[in-house]
Amino acid sequence: MDNNGLTAIEIRGLTKYYGKFLAVDDVDFDVGRGEIFGFLGPNGAGKTTTVMMITTFLEPTAGSIRIHDYELPKESIEARTLMGIVPEESNVYTELTAEGNLRFTGKIYRMSRKDRNKRAKELLDIFGLTEKAHTKVQEFSKGMRRRLTVAMALMHNPKILFLDEPISGLDVQSARYIKKLVRDLNKSGVTIFLTTHQIEVANELCHRVAIIDRGRIATIGTPDELKGSIESVQIVEVSFKTPEDSKIPSLSGINGVNHELRSGSIFRLYTDNPTEVIPSVIDFSREHGLSLKSLNTLGSSLEDVFLKITGQEVGLVTGMYGDEKSPIRKRGKGRMGK
Amino acid sequence: MKKVSIWSRTIGALGQAWAIAVKDLRTYYFNPPMVMFGLIMPVLLFFSFSVRRGTELSPQLGIINLSSMILFFTASTAGPVILILERRTRTMDRLMTAPLSMSCLLFGKAMVGLVFAVSVDLIPIIIGITIFKVRIQNPPLLAGAVILSAMSFSALGVWFGSFPVRSVGNVMMPSTLLRWPLLFVSGIFIPLSNLPKWVRVVSYISPLTYAHDAIKHAVTGSGSQSLILDMMILPFFLVLFLLLAIRLYRRVRKLGY
Repeated sequence: MDNNGLTAIEIRGLTKYYGKFLAVDDVDFDVGRGEIFGFLGPNGAGKTTTVMMITTFLEPTAGSIRIHDYELPKESIEARTLMGIVPEESNVYTELTAEGNLRFTGKIYRMSRKDRNKRAKELLDIFGLTEKAHTKVQEFSKGMRRRLTVAMALMHNPKILFLDEPISGLDVQSARYIKKLVRDLNKSGVTIFLTTHQIEVANELCHRVAIIDRGRIATIGTPDELKGSIESVQIVEVSFKTPEDSKIPSLSGINGVNHELRSGSIFRLYTDNPTEVIPSVIDFSREHGLSLKSLNTLGSSLEDVFLKITGQEVGLVTGMYGDEKSPIRKRGKGRMGK
Repeated sequence: MKKVSIWSRTIGALGQAWAIAVKDLRTYYFNPPMVMFGLIMPVLLFFSFSVRRGTELSPQLGIINLSSMILFFTASTAGPVILILERRTRTMDRLMTAPLSMSCLLFGKAMVGLVFAVSVDLIPIIIGITIFKVRIQNPPLLAGAVILSAMSFSALGVWFGSFPVRSVGNVMMPSTLLRWPLLFVSGIFIPLSNLPKWVRVVSYISPLTYAHDAIKHAVTGSGSQSLILDMMILPFFLVLFLLLAIRLYRRVRKLGY
């Protein structure tokens, strides 16, 4: 990332009320040009409202938004020419063909006929949709619709791409494809603003991450900085060889364990002092006649940061164990001061 | 950013509005509510209230009445159907975050109703001219009156469709209830001169009154009121309905939908 100190998005004092309900509370942050910026937060934290204001769909109650050199809402139309938006739901015109969708987007962005034909062909090729160019989108799979939605957002060569849950619900192949695309686009200079629940996706792709909670930015920094901010918390991950997972008793009573997460025969023990916990785990396995399969220490993950800040239950956070809800449940709740 | 002249901005905006209209025509032409409320209903109403009366209806008057009713129902149906469906599928978000003004977007939506209604309206006019040998006194005036009327009614539909609801039925039912009585006070089934005084007052606030009268001027060479008034009031309604729709969308920009 090299943005020469230039900002793609500059937010100051951004506030949004819906009637008397305060959805976004005095939010400030900058996104550098050429950056991949992750925007995380639990449901109802103000994430969608913030993005809707930045993308000009909603007007803020107070505060300022600047997109490159354009001030919103005064220069919304100019700012929109710089933005490509990929919403969580693929909002393509199902009655039109893939090519028809792209050409229509080109017309709305005032591209010349020559440019839109060339770009549509190019994007159909990049997204592997050339064979389906003349097929109505209603016959497309979810993954194909997703790819077309991203292609439509890129039709006018935007400088900033907003991606809302880009890989949610996609098969592994499509998800990998979109992640590669994000990296490639970023290499070509496009700023990426990524909104996601999938913390590992943010960890993997983003240069910086902001976590919004209850309408306020709770923390902002690189994934490593954020993980470092709670490094006092460490994890001992232990798994046992056993035919029946349910017969393994809880390890939460071991000295030094703050809380325990369990998924089948795998346990994650959160502790401030792993050197105290490891011998106790070995003693515990001997006492209960269990045979250890693996024993590792792990640093804090971005998910841990998210959980600490938002006070969410682990089971409600997706991503760590794939797209589905993790079966692991958290016992205690932590909260980091702002 | 380089300065762009007002002329090229206007041309660009019209191009965007036209692109929206063409896309909508391709997408929604055979949508069931469009066919039901925009095509079948005006024809059924015409035969229910005109042919059934037992009095001889001249082909000339038949064309005037059927043409006015088709324009009114067909043009004002497109807006609610398209806008509400697009909000539900969130394709409207795509347009609301594209580099075009709200007036350009809604003008494009109004053009759909115009094209849809005018193409349907050509059918009774052509049948009247070719089969019933109706002589149109002023064909250019008829073209102008039909286009202006369709545009005003289409803007009315855009206004209906801008109310923040997610179901087409939630707007189609009340809008039909509102449009239906206008048929009876706008000189279609009962001549304006035969209406009681208080109903005449109501007829002046109905755009259908002016559309029907302008078409009557074009077909027969005379009408119930001034042609100039008719042709001036119709664009006024077009602007009024579009402004009301823009106002509703300003609310959407503040509160979402």
